[in-house]
Amino acid sequence: MKRISEDYQSRLPDNTALKQQQLPAYRLQLSATGVLSGFFAAGAFCLGMGIILILSAKSIKEIEVKYTKICANCAELREDATNFDKECTCSIPFYLSETMKGNVYMYYKLYGFYQNLYQYILSRSNSQLLGTDLKDVGNCAPFSNSHDGTPIAPCGAIANSIFNDTIILSYNLNSSIPIEVPMLRSKITWWTDKYVKFQNPSSINLSSAFAGTTKPPYWSKPVYELDEEDPGNNGFLNDDFIVWMRTAAFPTFKKLYRRLNRIQYFIEGLPAGNYSFNITYNFPVTRFKGEKSVVLSTLTWSGGSSLFLGLAYTVTGAVTWLASFSMMAIHLMLKKKKMLFIQD
Amino acid sequence: MFRRSFNRFCAGEEKRVGTRTVFVGNHPVSETEAYIAQRFCDNRIVSSKYTLWNFLPKNLFEQFRRIANFYFLIIFLVQVTVDTPTSPVTSGLPLFFVITVTAIKQGYEDWLRHRADNEVNKRTVYIIENAKRVRKESEKIKVGDVVEVQADETFPCDLILLSSCTSDGTCYVTTASLDGESNCKTHYAVRDTIALHTAESIDTLRAAIECEQPQPDLYKSLGPENLLLKGATLKNTKKIYGVAVYTGMETKMALNYQGKSQKRSAVEKSINAFLIVYLFILLTKAAVCTTLKYVWQSTPYNDEPWYNQKTQKERETLKVLKMFTDFLSFMVLFNFIIPVSMYVTVEMQKFLGSFFISWDKDFYDEEIHEGALVNTSDLNEELGQVDYIFTDKTGTLTENSMEFIECCIDGHKYKGVAQEADGLSETDGPLTYFDKADKNREELFLRALCLCHTVEIKTNDAVDGPTESAKLTYVSSSPDEIALVKGAKKYGFTFVGIRNGHMRIENQRKEIEEYELLHTLNFDSVRRRMSVIVKTQAGDILLFCKGADSAVFPRVQNHEIELTKAHVERNAMDGYRTLCVAFKEITPDDYERINRQLIEAKMALQDREEKMEKVFDDIETNMNLIGATAVEDKLQDQAAETIEALHAAGLKVWVLTGDKMETAKSTCYACRLFQTSTELLELTTKTIEESERKEDRLHELLIEYRKKLLHDFPKSTRSLKKAWTEHQEYGLIIDGSTLSLILNSSQDSSSNNYKSIFLQICMKCTAVLCCRMAPLQKAQIVRMVKNLKGSPITLSIGDGANDVSMILESHVGIGIKGKEGRQAARNSDYAVPKFKHLKKLLLAHGHLYYVRIAHLVQYFFYKNLCFILPQFLYQFFCGFSQQPLYDAAYLTMYNICFTSLPILAYSLLEQHINIDTLTSDPRLYMKISGNAMLQLGPFLYWTFLAAFEGTVFFFGTYFLFQTSSLEENAKVYGNWTFGTIVFTVLVFTVTLKLALDTRFWTWINHFVIWGSLAFYVFFSFFWGGIIWPFLKQQRMYFVFAQMLSSVSTWLAIVLLIFISLFPEILLIVLKNVRRRSARRNLSCKRASDSLSARPSVRPLLLRTFSDESNIL
Repeated sequence: MKRISEDYQSRLPDNTALKQQQLPAYRLQLSATGVLSGFFAAGAFCLGMGIILILSAKSIKEIEVKYTKICANCAELREDATNFDKECTCSIPFYLSETMKGNVYMYYKLYGFYQNLYQYILSRSNSQLLGTDLKDVGNCAPFSNSHDGTPIAPCGAIANSIFNDTIILSYNLNSSIPIEVPMLRSKITWWTDKYVKFQNPSSINLSSAFAGTTKPPYWSKPVYELDEEDPGNNGFLNDDFIVWMRTAAFPTFKKLYRRLNRIQYFIEGLPAGNYSFNITYNFPVTRFKGEKSVVLSTLTWSGGSSLFLGLAYTVTGAVTWLASFSMMAIHLMLKKKKMLFIQD
Repeated sequence: MFRRSFNRFCAGEEKRVGTRTVFVGNHPVSETEAYIAQRFCDNRIVSSKYTLWNFLPKNLFEQFRRIANFYFLIIFLVQVTVDTPTSPVTSGLPLFFVITVTAIKQGYEDWLRHRADNEVNKRTVYIIENAKRVRKESEKIKVGDVVEVQADETFPCDLILLSSCTSDGTCYVTTASLDGESNCKTHYAVRDTIALHTAESIDTLRAAIECEQPQPDLYKSLGPENLLLKGATLKNTKKIYGVAVYTGMETKMALNYQGKSQKRSAVEKSINAFLIVYLFILLTKAAVCTTLKYVWQSTPYNDEPWYNQKTQKERETLKVLKMFTDFLSFMVLFNFIIPVSMYVTVEMQKFLGSFFISWDKDFYDEEIHEGALVNTSDLNEELGQVDYIFTDKTGTLTENSMEFIECCIDGHKYKGVAQEADGLSETDGPLTYFDKADKNREELFLRALCLCHTVEIKTNDAVDGPTESAKLTYVSSSPDEIALVKGAKKYGFTFVGIRNGHMRIENQRKEIEEYELLHTLNFDSVRRRMSVIVKTQAGDILLFCKGADSAVFPRVQNHEIELTKAHVERNAMDGYRTLCVAFKEITPDDYERINRQLIEAKMALQDREEKMEKVFDDIETNMNLIGATAVEDKLQDQAAETIEALHAAGLKVWVLTGDKMETAKSTCYACRLFQTSTELLELTTKTIEESERKEDRLHELLIEYRKKLLHDFPKSTRSLKKAWTEHQEYGLIIDGSTLSLILNSSQDSSSNNYKSIFLQICMKCTAVLCCRMAPLQKAQIVRMVKNLKGSPITLSIGDGANDVSMILESHVGIGIKGKEGRQAARNSDYAVPKFKHLKKLLLAHGHLYYVRIAHLVQYFFYKNLCFILPQFLYQFFCGFSQQPLYDAAYLTMYNICFTSLPILAYSLLEQHINIDTLTSDPRLYMKISGNAMLQLGPFLYWTFLAAFEGTVFFFGTYFLFQTSSLEENAKVYGNWTFGTIVFTVLVFTVTLKLALDTRFWTWINHFVIWGSLAFYVFFSFFWGGIIWPFLKQQRMYFVFAQMLSSVSTWLAIVLLIFISLFPEILLIVLKNVRRRSARRNLSCKRASDSLSARPSVRPLLLRTFSDESNIL
């Protein structure tokens, strides 16, 4: 008999909070003051942030020089791929009305170049770039092997289409003698790219390491001779190359090219005055109706000179405050009504 | 399913006609006649779907017949074959998961069926072969084999009883597993073979049996009295011999077994509708992208810029083919918009969620020591969508514990004061006799009560002799009969059992009277009466009949009726169940004739039912009325409160009962289905038979009622539910015969018209009572309402076998674990111990389940539109080249890991309103009626919200990327950083959106919401922190960490999340303000109302039935 009653007992559902849907729970209770103060605080934060961002963006000096049209003759020359070995230079003078203080960065900017095409992004070999397997060109079609079958290093469409203009900035201190502005080409890549993701194949010297491979068809020099001045900046570890290999998100994009070496005249930054870009024009853009430009820019803590973030914050803050003011009005009205009712 | 396998096992069904011939023991009847081995199916029961060999192909085939699965399979195949941007793993893995889980579940269920089948098929049975007892497995039995069955064994196939161990060739059988009736039934051996008691003698039998072809008809009657059905159990008989006539899949049990048809909930239909909308969006997106791609590529420098030359293969491919593959690729790229994981989550939510019902302590009943039972988890949310409730009366609204209240003999009222505690009754209660009828009549009446029934005696094992009257327990399929027998006992006549076909009664003088039971004319729902024919010790042959007044009155001498009739009507008004008792003396000559007719009818092979009925009809005439009984059927605990709550929730409650109108009506008043203010419209034989031509009168009434109702309810059918409270309430009463007149007068062209008018009337009435319903009619009504315009959701609740048809027919079937067997509970979708549990089941559980699953569905579509819209927009910036915005890992993990658990936890735990509030304020139920949360409005809201958020994510990040650098050290970000920023904002936004929607924050919610976000961050660091050797592309390497090193990105992510959620936050605050002011207004109103407070409903006890007497 006892056993039976135990049996019955076991069929009684457990009286646990979970099973009875009685878990202790917090229910959000909105109080008018809480909501209003929350809104005001959020609005204040957004407005403040927006103003700070706008101010810092305003402090940035940026100058962009488009040189496709200015260097029209060079552009025309590059229309025809057979003229690849003909050198073409082009000089673009410009005037800097204000000093660019602090660190100055030089970018090149491409218009209408789709680095984000599906096939294009795929066309690279990470194991090759890691230096582990130089012969692995599996994904690199149509730039995997040269006509005679030797694997290309670095293979693929991205590497093949590297930006190969040389841009030299010179400063005309007096009207006659131009001084070449000292520029650094180091530390323009992500640290991890330079030190982990890209590795040269190990060997005594670079040229022997890349033996058995050939240069990409559009390149004039093999990968181990990219930088004649700094031997450490060659092979897959070339900074310009690494920067190029990080594909841009949109067809109009900037890529970091050089940064100002703050010595001599340029300790403070770029002083106002006459400058000129001396460009060795190699990269064809008119073939896809694109454009090229050089951008000089200073930066602040928040990065480049875009007003977007500041404006967005300001607008959001304003809207939030607007909402909170109208809510306050409604709240006061309701309160008044209630008071009236109680008086009745 | 059974049908199919039936055909497979019994090939050549079409060849068989009329009857089959079975040779007993498979011996040819005569030597001269050539024995032709007939082919019948073997005795294997196959209820399983699969075998080990065909499981994989068959199960896969069945699963891919579902549209959604098939769609995902296509997507997967496209991904495998066509060169697509996303890896096949992204859609293959979830699909594989879904398929595997379902296959395992179905495989397990089938394994259970196999086990059950094997248990039946491999059981040992004894077969008489060549005069020897041979042990065999049950599945080896062939038609014609002679089978020996021992006590308490179940019959292995349908048998014809040849002989039993008793000399009279009877055996007792319970059919509890077939129809839920637990009483013992007596079956008789074929007369000619009664004497064959041993295996040897049986073997000498040479006979052929001519019998009907297998028929599934189980309910009319359980076969003639010498057919023993598979599944029934032999009781109180040592052993029997029988010959197998139907085996395996041809047995009545197998033919009657039908898998419950899959019920689909309204939410599921909505999901499918959404699915089609999203499929359309998907196809449009893919088509737009494909078109634009080719427009864009029409200029050569876009088609093949110098930096991205085509491979040889690409150049050679046909343009049309390329367009086609491009279209497919886009489809694959956007396919996440239809989330495969939603199906998994919905299934899991339903499965896990249904536990809350069976776990609910409030559904636990102390008496039967059981809680609620969930037979299907597919319909949880349907409980929140019910429009119509069809409830049985007996055992559902009422207790079905009958108590003999009083009786009337020749118009004299006898009322017992003694109350019985339980099954064991004593005769010591003092009885009050108001005034006495003639002593002889009195004894005759009580003898009739003692004889005219099918009650069995269950003897207590401790006591030796069954005649020891102190320890008798009555068992019967009908509690009325027990109440009556016990009632007779109170007056001194005790039924002590049946011995050798003799019913034994202990009379008031403690003497045993014996009556030979000649025939039992069983009760059925059409005749609504039963009779016994007995022979007294003196040799007189008597017929006792008891039945419903309407079934008995026309069959007795007229002059006797009046007094009894008044008595019966008064009893019915008090809510008692009444039965009239009549008797008749039969002369031996007449008996001879009757006996012959009865046997003839019983032996008939064709139209047995009709013949039997006709004979019964002939016999039960010209009887003498002795009296009537009144049995009280107590209302169930809180039945009235439950009905009231359901009413307030805007549900229409219909009572469908087999009982007579007066009884049913009084029950309806008692449980407040009808209020005193309710005006009753009656469509009963009573109201209609006043006129000569029934149909004209019916038509008149219908028109009149409609006019009345239409006048009261102006066209505003929308606010009908709310209008109830203000307008005059109407209740409709209709009985079975009138209903069939309305539904079945098919020769009349206006029948359709009748039906539509009738439905119009029904829809406008707050409560409908249908009495005198046959089980089939109950289902008919349910089907009729189901097919109304707007297809309302119906719920049936009942406890007996007669409610099964209606339970199966309606959208949701609820069984009461009552006293009339477990048939209803077994066939139901949900079973609860009591009617009162319906309140919490619908108002709290149903409401919550609906809100949960509706939110789940909307949220799933929302989050995937958010997810895929930026991907779509990105195509405009990457030359429509199918470049995915997100990394493959993110594409795969988004639905599986990052955003799945919070919504699952929400959909299991959310209580946007307290359970107590939900049960105490039934009006809340109206808020979600008509699938309110999945209508076009909410759907558009969610869709636009998703579109807005997706646009914010994409363009916000796009404008952010217009600057030279996001870092102070001028480093530049690429496309994967862009995608990761969008994705981060996306994951945070959709998760926080859910957090905003959560009203019930348990620790689980906190854990999964914040845990998911933390997991996302952790995973991103992990995924980007290692050069994965198995990946060809190291796209994500350090992207996430580098992204977070920029202050601008942080600011942008925070801002974009805030902007995306801003409309939602505003909406919540506004809703809160409105609710608050509404509550304030309400409380003000309440304060002013309280002065003029009036009792809404008069307490039950205060109300007398005289209130409605003017309506009657």
